[in-house]
Amino acid sequence: MDKNQILEKLAAVVMDGTEDEAKALAQAVVANKIDPLEAIEQGLSKGMEIIGGRFECGEAYLPELLMAAASFNAAMAVLKPEIEAQKKQLVKLGKVLIGTVKGDVHSIGKDIVASVLDTSGFDVVDMGVDNPSLNIIQQAEKIQADVIALSSLMTTTMPAQKEVIDTLKEMGIRQKYFVIIGGGPANQEWADRIGADGYGKSAIDAVTLVKGLMAKKR
Amino acid sequence: MTNFLDICEKAIYGPIMSEKDFDMKVFMPKIKELVRKYGIQYDRENPVPCDDKAADNLFHAAVEFLAAVGIYCQDTNRLIQFTKEEILEGIAKAPGQCHLGEGKDAKVFGMRKPDDQKIPWLHVGSGIVSTTEEMITNKIEAYASIPEVDSISIPALDSIRGIPVAAGSPVELYAAIRSVKIGRDALIRAGRPGLPICNLVATAASAVTTIAASAPQFGLRPTDGWLCGTVAENKMEYGTMNKIAYLLNWGANVGAETAPILGGYCGGPAGTAIVSTAYIMIGILALKGSYQLHFPVHFKYGCSTTRDVLWVVSASCQAASRNVPMPVIWLGYMAGGPNTRMYFYESAAWLLAATASGAPSVQTPHSAKAVKIDGFTPMECQFGVDMAKAAAKCDRQQANHLVKKLLEKYESQIDKAPSGDRYQDCYDVTKGKPSEAYVRLVKEVKEELSGMGISFA
Repeated sequence: MDKNQILEKLAAVVMDGTEDEAKALAQAVVANKIDPLEAIEQGLSKGMEIIGGRFECGEAYLPELLMAAASFNAAMAVLKPEIEAQKKQLVKLGKVLIGTVKGDVHSIGKDIVASVLDTSGFDVVDMGVDNPSLNIIQQAEKIQADVIALSSLMTTTMPAQKEVIDTLKEMGIRQKYFVIIGGGPANQEWADRIGADGYGKSAIDAVTLVKGLMAKKR
Repeated sequence: MTNFLDICEKAIYGPIMSEKDFDMKVFMPKIKELVRKYGIQYDRENPVPCDDKAADNLFHAAVEFLAAVGIYCQDTNRLIQFTKEEILEGIAKAPGQCHLGEGKDAKVFGMRKPDDQKIPWLHVGSGIVSTTEEMITNKIEAYASIPEVDSISIPALDSIRGIPVAAGSPVELYAAIRSVKIGRDALIRAGRPGLPICNLVATAASAVTTIAASAPQFGLRPTDGWLCGTVAENKMEYGTMNKIAYLLNWGANVGAETAPILGGYCGGPAGTAIVSTAYIMIGILALKGSYQLHFPVHFKYGCSTTRDVLWVVSASCQAASRNVPMPVIWLGYMAGGPNTRMYFYESAAWLLAATASGAPSVQTPHSAKAVKIDGFTPMECQFGVDMAKAAAKCDRQQANHLVKKLLEKYESQIDKAPSGDRYQDCYDVTKGKPSEAYVRLVKEVKEELSGMGISFA
């Protein structure tokens, strides 16, 4: 296989969600001395982009998306040491702390956003579900997050999204973070009302939103 | 048959694994395998299929799925597993009926089959659509004043004395107790104090609040019903299990609450239909439900009225009602909101699909995806009752024909559905009566539906 074939195949195995093949192709990238960053950009990310687009328009479902992400990460596990060995740097677009707010145990939407952000080049820390506001803030401080992404699926837990923002203000650190919200009952109007920096209707929306916010930061 | 302590034991001693491994290595691959093995195929041309063999095939796939996958306990990180024999024994010994309510409103909630002309158990109201203290009494009184209604859901309070209700907070406890008292008082005002409340405790997101607000001195009775839910997909946590343990010790009705998500871990319609059917067995086996509240929804659209979700509802409802004796309240989420034509088209389609497929009960279809505060009114309840009665006159073939015609009216609008009015926008808040415009709209829609062949007489 030549370089172009390997890159095309990398994209294809990500879309197919076949972890072992993704790993084997990543090893072929290393063996054939192909630039690992190019392999990520022209192979793995392309595959994720296509599957993400299919997911967005309803042609693919969550299992396909998650299997693609698993293949992406399997290949990355091979390519990362090579990137380091070549003293190159994998540029991360920003650090996102994501979690479902206090009292809410819903996770699927949040998991998808985390997965898509991760494979889109962000450094993602997922706090899981039912997180007290202060825990979220302390974690954001600890990992020096750029963005705090808050999920809520119930009208009764939406106030906790506001509580995180209000607490950040009280602590005098609101400006340190972009805060974005999502989840079934959330919308742009709610985001505006509670002073969030943005609202993402879908995972792809969230990626666009976070990319836009990070561009402002730079 | 396994009792609830057996379930607790399984949750402690079952195989250990991470939640991610459960999703990725157990749940998703097994669905994929069984869709292929049983040849389950989504038929987009027939949202209400009419094939008993296919329904039974789906049931067998669901039994194999549940025996292979089990339920994941998030607190112990262990699998609660069932053998095929345990599953079949649980089904064989399930009573298929539930006693709800008190006095003249005490009734037995039982089963229906596909094409059954019996009117389903009529459950009205909404718990998930929160509301304010000022409006809650009028709403509940109006729901309960519909004579045909068999049981009711009361709304969650979104604030008390102006303080927002946050899950797990003391304010939530105040609000939960307050909502229970208001609910019972409103039922008395409607002249139906014994009408069972079957969505307890809507205002309580946490188990401790549910249990505290359920103390009998606040007005609840074991003949009401409490919702104890799984987490999507096939997961359960100790909060739910604590509620179940409390209710079983009291002898109160557990309402198993389950909601498969099309497009989520289940994948497409075929996989979701398997999971949807398996959930009815989970309601019996793991949640120990006396009855069940079940609502498949679409991951992307947040509603139940896309063509593929309608098919899942119909197919899994047929599989369950033919094979699993569990009185299930089937619930749909509509994309359109109150006082919009779209809501009523969707509501009619969903009620036709579920009722003709053998739903033992149907609940008022929820408006505006159930995410609009005060976005639910008694008018939708009245329409739901009238429409369910009309739908009971249709067999699956007739329902399929009508659903297809209704889909033509709303399908292309789902992504940009109007969220409609709030209660206070289309009702006289003081008198609790709908606006003339809203009454006129419903009359027009019913005339249009009658013209399509739906009989409200």
